[in-house]
Amino acid sequence: MSAHTTSMRDALYEAPGPKTRRRTVIGTVVSLVLLAVAIFFIIRQFYITDQFNERYWSFLLEWSTWRFLLEGLWGTIQVAIMSGIISMALGLLLMLGRIGQNKIVSGICHVLTDLFRSLPSLLLIYFFFLVIPKYGIRMPSFWMLTIPISLAASGVLAEVFRAGVNAVPKGQTEAAMSIGLTHGKIVRKIILPQALRIVIPSLVSQLVVVVKDTTVAYVVSFPDLMQNTRVLISNYDALVSMYFVVAIIYILINYAINQLSIYLAHRSGNKIVTRTSENPV
Amino acid sequence: MAAKSTAIIQMHHVDKHYGELHVLQDINLDVQKGEVVVLIGPSGSGKSTLCRTINRLETIDSGEILFEGKPLPQEGKELAAYRAEIGMVFQSFNLFAHKTILDNVTLGPREVLGTPKEEAEKEAMDLLARVGVAEQAHKVPAQLSGGQQQRVAIARSLAMHPKAMLFDEPTSALDPEMINEVLEVMVGLAKEGMTMVVVTHEMNFARRVSNRVVFMADGQIMEEGAPDEFFDHPKTERAKDFLDSIRGH
Repeated sequence: MSAHTTSMRDALYEAPGPKTRRRTVIGTVVSLVLLAVAIFFIIRQFYITDQFNERYWSFLLEWSTWRFLLEGLWGTIQVAIMSGIISMALGLLLMLGRIGQNKIVSGICHVLTDLFRSLPSLLLIYFFFLVIPKYGIRMPSFWMLTIPISLAASGVLAEVFRAGVNAVPKGQTEAAMSIGLTHGKIVRKIILPQALRIVIPSLVSQLVVVVKDTTVAYVVSFPDLMQNTRVLISNYDALVSMYFVVAIIYILINYAINQLSIYLAHRSGNKIVTRTSENPV
Repeated sequence: MAAKSTAIIQMHHVDKHYGELHVLQDINLDVQKGEVVVLIGPSGSGKSTLCRTINRLETIDSGEILFEGKPLPQEGKELAAYRAEIGMVFQSFNLFAHKTILDNVTLGPREVLGTPKEEAEKEAMDLLARVGVAEQAHKVPAQLSGGQQQRVAIARSLAMHPKAMLFDEPTSALDPEMINEVLEVMVGLAKEGMTMVVVTHEMNFARRVSNRVVFMADGQIMEEGAPDEFFDHPKTERAKDFLDSIRGH
């Protein structure tokens, strides 16, 4: 539990000795050289295939290009945030139902969790795009994208929540029982608050998956970042440069999300686990 | 064993198995009101399990347990209400890790007894002062030493005004220098007439404070008696061996 005092690396490896240190230096140098060679070949290949030609890049200097990309980005953010909210609520409900005392509810939640978790989100999107409209239910493309992504994520999140609940020590429940709290209050006042703190980093990381799932928006013609990128690619015939730019945008978004999860992990971890140095055991 | 009118806890022919293992074998035990009963025995003897059956943290296979003459409730609100009347102190403290010391102590009164916030906090502060950790009231459990945490755990139990208290090896997880500060609190409780069932390895405490020592081995009560009698003249070989082994040489 003391992830904040010992890093994962400390936990996995012992302190290196002289031989290990030498091998580490050699390994580092070799991989840097290989990396440099790889980059050289990529650039060379770009050069040979004329990817640096101005016509593939100049439109990126125009505001209209960026406005179109930002519109797409806004679509991506809307779908991601809405899916994040729905999937967390649904995941929490599925988990609570599953760990509850009602056998039937528990069974249903178990099946739904596994179902949502195992189905590819693309398949769910096709279902909402192709099957549901046949039964006369019309919905905007935003929801045809958001609902399936939410369902797929909720299955995973239900399992994340359950892992969090299982990670709360049994003694916490026993102590709560011993002062006479009822089952419902034990779940609400003792288990869930601690379980949520434990899983916050995993929840936020799951948002990365949601963001990546949104890229299949083209199936339902929803104008997200990826869909608008595809439009720009066909307009300017600029495949490599556009993919390059949009990849960097996705990397930046997901990097920001990961930083957020690290920050939250530190904050919540410190609150529960740290023993201050002034007051050791 | 005839039920005396003052016996607050009665166990009749209690049996429990963990799979093949017969962890409690025909346990008969009465605890009188105001009595301090110490359970001792080698590890795996069933003494912790016995202690935990009294507030139904462990269920039993057969036999019956009565509290104030009534069988223990089996489930639900009745069981929760019953547990509220019995204090329990655990080996690993089990303070609510996400709550401050003060909130640990007020949670039960506020959620179970419906005590208003101010009143609950006032009483909690009195209890924390009594066990000597009032200055720590606004810290979280992880910031306290083991001995301090265990004293808070006792205060948390006392806040419910329990009719009896169970102590499941309350000092076994503590560093040696912190054992006494917890035992002192327990001695104080015993003197005030609290009914206590204590699983412990602290033989001095058992001899000094308890009214009765119950020696268990292999899931059975091997013998019981007044502390001086038990420690000076154990009747069974198992008890003699056990006492020899812990006394050292």
